Amino acid sequence: MSSLFRKLTLTALAGMAGFLSVLPQPAIAHGERATEPYIRTRTIHWYDVTWSTDKLKVNDTVTVQGKFHLLNDWPDAVSKPHLVFLSNASPGAVLTRVESYINDVPAQQSTRNLEIGRDYDFKLVMKGRKPGRWHLHPVLSVHGAGPIVGPGEWVTVDGSEADFKQPVTTLHGIKIDDLQTFGVARVQMWQLGFGLIAAAWLLWWLRRPLIISRWLALQKGREDLLVTRTDDKVAAGMLVLVLLVVIVGYTGTIAEFPQLVPLQGGSLYTPPLPEPRKAVAVKLKRAEYDVPGRSMRLSMEMTNNSDQPLGIGEFTTANLRFVNKNLPAALAAINPTFPRELIPGNGLLVDSRAPLAPGETRLVKLEATDAAWELERLVSFLTNVDSRTGGLIFFYDPKGRRYISEVYGPIIPVFKKTI
Amino acid sequence: MTANDRAVLDVAEMSPKIAGWSRTFDFLIVVVAAFLVWSVTYIHFLLLAGDWDFFIDWKDRQYWVLITPVVTIMMAAAFQAIFWNLFRLPIGATASLFLFLIGVWIVRYHSWQGMAYFPLSLVVPATCLMGALALDAILVLTRSWLLTGVFGGVLYGLIFFPSNWIYLAPYFQPVEHMGQLSSIADLIGYTFPRSGTPEYIRIIERGTLRTFEDNANWVSAFFSAFVCIFLYIIFWWVGIAACGTKYIPVGSRFKAMFAATATAKGTAA
Repeated sequence: MSSLFRKLTLTALAGMAGFLSVLPQPAIAHGERATEPYIRTRTIHWYDVTWSTDKLKVNDTVTVQGKFHLLNDWPDAVSKPHLVFLSNASPGAVLTRVESYINDVPAQQSTRNLEIGRDYDFKLVMKGRKPGRWHLHPVLSVHGAGPIVGPGEWVTVDGSEADFKQPVTTLHGIKIDDLQTFGVARVQMWQLGFGLIAAAWLLWWLRRPLIISRWLALQKGREDLLVTRTDDKVAAGMLVLVLLVVIVGYTGTIAEFPQLVPLQGGSLYTPPLPEPRKAVAVKLKRAEYDVPGRSMRLSMEMTNNSDQPLGIGEFTTANLRFVNKNLPAALAAINPTFPRELIPGNGLLVDSRAPLAPGETRLVKLEATDAAWELERLVSFLTNVDSRTGGLIFFYDPKGRRYISEVYGPIIPVFKKTI
Repeated sequence: MTANDRAVLDVAEMSPKIAGWSRTFDFLIVVVAAFLVWSVTYIHFLLLAGDWDFFIDWKDRQYWVLITPVVTIMMAAAFQAIFWNLFRLPIGATASLFLFLIGVWIVRYHSWQGMAYFPLSLVVPATCLMGALALDAILVLTRSWLLTGVFGGVLYGLIFFPSNWIYLAPYFQPVEHMGQLSSIADLIGYTFPRSGTPEYIRIIERGTLRTFEDNANWVSAFFSAFVCIFLYIIFWWVGIAACGTKYIPVGSRFKAMFAATATAKGTAA
C-alpha cells in the first residue's frame, strides 16, 4: 500500500513538474537587493529621481529622470566606470525603451569614461507594452561590475497588449508597421523551406531498415547495399539544390536590399555636469551598524565653508533616503511621487538641531534607524570583502538651496552602542 | 520495401519476424537518438555561441559569421561520424542542425517570448542547415571523411552567411533614431530592453578587419570556412571515439562483440 502511495505521489509530482515547466512563467524579481552592500553604498548614488506617472496605457510613455553621483570611494573590487550603459530594470520587455540620455547625449549605445566624484543627468522614456504592474528602475550597467540599480517605482500599464505597435520608417522611406513582428514571417518561411528539404533528406534514409540490419550488413562488408548509386544521384541532386537555393536567394536579396548598414557598435562620451560648490567638508570619524538595533550611526567632523548657515537635511545611500524631519526644507525636497518604501519612517536623527554656522567645524552624530537596512539586505557588513560604507549628505541653507557632500569610510558592526 | 531493403535484410540474415522487431527497435532508437542529438547540439551551441544566435543585434559581419558555423560544425561532424561509421547513414550533420533548429524555435516561443516577453523579431535565429545538407551530400559522394572535411567544411563555412542573409538582410536597413544612424536590428535591440544584457557586452564589429572596404562579412566567411575544415576533422574523430565502448560500463562480452568490430573497422576513408 505504501509502495503504491509512493508511486502515485511521485507520479503526481513528476506530472506537476512537467506541467509547470511547460507553462511560461514571468520573472518578477530583478535583483535590486542582490548586489553586495559595499557596491550599492559606494559606487552610484541616484538622487532626484522622478517618474512622470505611475499609471499609463499601452502605447503611452513614462519618463524616468534624475541624477546620479559616482562616489570618490569607489571600491577597488569593482571595475571603474570606463564603459557604462544606461538601461532599466523591469521583468522582461514589458515596457519598451523609446529614448535614453545621459546629460542630454543619446545613450542608445554605451557611454565611456564616466568620471568618479562627478554627477550626471539621466533620462529614460519608456512605453507601455504589456499590461500589468511592473517595478521600474533606472540601471547603470558598469562594464566588469554589472548592473547598479537605482530606486524602483511600481508602474501600472492598462489596456490590451494587442494594441501595442512600434512603427518606424527607414531612411529609404519604407514604413514598418511594427518592430515586434518585422521580418519574422520571412525568416520563418525560408527556414521552413530549409527544414522541408532537410526533412526530405532524413526521410530518404530513415525510411529503410536502419540500426541492426545496416550494422550487420556493414560488418559483412556490404557497403554497396547501404549506399547505392541511386543514393549518389540523390546526394548530387541535393548538393545542386542547396547551392542553387543559396545562390539564387542571396543574389535576389542583395538586389532587393542594395543599401544596408552594419550594426552600430561605437561608444559615446559626455562630460559630467559642472562641479557644484563643496559647501561642507565632511570627515568620517567613525561609522557603526548596530546589528540588534538596525541602526547606522555616523560620527563626522563637518566644516561649513559657505557663507550661509546650513542644516543637515538628508543622508542617502543605496537608494534609501533618511530625511531629517526637523528641517522643513528637507521635507519639502521630497517629491510626493517618490516610492515611500525607500524613505524610512524613522528618518534621520541629528544630535543637534542647530545649523552649521558659516566657517564652523563641529563633530556631528547622525543616526539612521530602520528595518529597511534588513529589508534592503544592506547589513552583511560582517561578510563584506571591503567593509566600508558611503553615501551623500544633503545640506540646506535658509533659502532652501541644496548642497551635497560625500561621506565614506570604514564601518564596524556592533552589538551595543559605542558612539 | 524495396529490393535493396530486402537485400540488406537478407545479408543481415533476418527473418520477416525478426525484421519486424528490428523495425520497431529502429523507431524507438530514432526517437531516443533524436532527443540525444537535439540536446547535445543545443547545449554545445548555447555554451559556445549563445548570444550571437539569440539576438538580432548580435548578428554582425565578423564574429557571427565566423563563430556560428565553426561551433555548429563540431557536433555536425561528430554525429556524422557516429551515424556513418556504425550504420553508413549520411544524416548526422542534417539531423544535428535540423533538430537544433526545431529546438531553437520552441525555446524562442516558449521562453524568450513567453517568459521574457521578447518579440520574435529580437530573437530570430540563424541556421546552418543548408551547410549541413551539403556536408552530408558530400560524404555520400566522396565516401571519405577527409574529402568531406576539406570540401564540405569549406562549403559549410562559406554558405552560412549567404543562406542566412536571404532573410536577415531586411534587419540591416538604415533608420535614424535620436539623431543617430542605426540599423533596424540595433533599434530592435534597443527598443526591447534586456536588463541583464547591456549594450557594451555585444562582441560585434571589433578588431582590425578593415582592409576590404565594407566586405568584412565575406572575409569572415572565408576564414570560417578555413577553420571549419580543421574542426570538422577533429570532431569527426571525437565521433569515432564515441562509437567505441571503451568508456561504457557494460559487460566484457558486449564490448568484445561491439567494440572489436566497430572500432577496428575504423572509418570509411
